[in-house]
Amino acid sequence: MPSPELPGTSEPLRVSILTQGQFLIVSIHTALDDTQMTRLQEDLIEQVGRQRSRGIIVDVSTLDVLDSFATRTLTQLAHVARLRGAETVVVGISPEVAIAMVQLSLQMSFVHTALDLEEGLQRLGELTGALDEAAFLGTRSRG
Amino acid sequence: MDGARSELGPDDQVIVDLVPMVRKVVGSRIRDPHLVDDLVQETLVRVMAAHSRVEGDTMAPYAAVTARNVVASYARRNDRARARAHLLAHGDIDSSERPGDSLLRQEDRSIVAAALARLPAAERDILVAHEVNGDDTRTLAATRDTTPGAVAAQLARIRAKMRVEYLLVKENLEPPTDRCRAVLRALSAGDRRRQRELDTGAHLLECDCCALVSAGLLDRWSASSSDDEMRVPVARDADVVTARQTGRQVAARLGFSPTDSTLIATAISEIARNIVKFAERGEIVISHVSTGGSDGISIVARDVGPGIPALEQAMRDGYSTYRGLGLGLPGARRLMDEFDVVTEVGKGTTVSMTKWHSARRRPGDNEN
Ligand SMILES: [Zn+2]
Repeated sequence: MPSPELPGTSEPLRVSILTQGQFLIVSIHTALDDTQMTRLQEDLIEQVGRQRSRGIIVDVSTLDVLDSFATRTLTQLAHVARLRGAETVVVGISPEVAIAMVQLSLQMSFVHTALDLEEGLQRLGELTGALDEAAFLGTRSRG
Repeated sequence: MDGARSELGPDDQVIVDLVPMVRKVVGSRIRDPHLVDDLVQETLVRVMAAHSRVEGDTMAPYAAVTARNVVASYARRNDRARARAHLLAHGDIDSSERPGDSLLRQEDRSIVAAALARLPAAERDILVAHEVNGDDTRTLAATRDTTPGAVAAQLARIRAKMRVEYLLVKENLEPPTDRCRAVLRALSAGDRRRQRELDTGAHLLECDCCALVSAGLLDRWSASSSDDEMRVPVARDADVVTARQTGRQVAARLGFSPTDSTLIATAISEIARNIVKFAERGEIVISHVSTGGSDGISIVARDVGPGIPALEQAMRDGYSTYRGLGLGLPGARRLMDEFDVVTEVGKGTTVSMTKWHSARRRPGDNEN
């Protein structure tokens, strides 16, 4: 189901958050500024707790850059999510963005990466032990 | 014109051939098509009257001068040209002024009069002679014992001055510092070299008067400066995105690869964020640079703010950036080919960085 608005914003949604079973799938639709990035982080942390999610996939393929702030925000998200029992996989880092991150010596601790959404789901499945196809279809109940 | 044409002798073809040129001269100054027709005819009548006194091969320039004078005298009759003196086109003095171009409100005329009164008498005279009386640069040069080129350059300077005075009168502002007028004139004239000498960007950030007036001046130049120079004011988060996206567009237009464009956009993001986080306000100027056969993009970020007290440390602490301690400066430096920071505690910081086209990298530069 599509997420409602991010908290505290009345602007049109720049991000959609879908719940697929125990996973949250985050699609970013446009470049985000620092405030929007922080808001997304807070919202995801809140939803992970509320929905007892086991994994988060963040698709960043439409982000124009992953600079120090964006990287730090994703790292913090992954760290907090892990403390609450969820793993984070970032997918869709373009070659250009990857090169910039390497030149900036940016590391994303706590964050797993995968090429695209499909691989990201597979990765999350491995990480959380929820290899079951059903998890991706959202029909598998927890436990 | 039919009646007039029948009076022409065997040389009438010479006059007919002049019509398109005369129409162009008049049409470039007057919008109303009926008025254009009237003034073209008036011009041709005068040219025909002088026909016998003018050599065949000087007919065209003579007709052009006549057409300009006809337009100017029409404008004077309508008492509009004077009011428009400050708005007359800059640059190509002989072809782009438009004395009778449009109507102006009464209040504007009094502002123009007040601004004109602020010019030295000699400058006011030459401006009025050219813009209002329609004297061309050759005539003005002859009476002043100088060259048309020198007169043209002088007129351009006076116009630039006039625009500044006009805006100061209009906004009812008195420049607070000695530098203000020099800065504003350099901006008004579009004189990049002088702007660099005066560091106009830094002045605009700290001088509210000039910031306000420059908005009116820069509007005039936006069309000519947008091709190779973009300015992005930076005060809030959203401006960081605008700055880096603008940088990417300019980089792409200058032929940088998608990878290099991304590196440039990322570097801009880092330094623009510093302005939002640490300074009051600032701007990022993105432009094309070209020196000694190499070609690149220049990013200059200036701010008014506290400055960076421990610059060396800020530059060294590169690996702490993602933990939130650094300023993004070392990161930006790694992404660009040249990087320079000038900071003054309590005043502000200017970061200048350049990336060269890798294909045309300057000899001796090392990529790292
Ligand atoms: Zn000033």
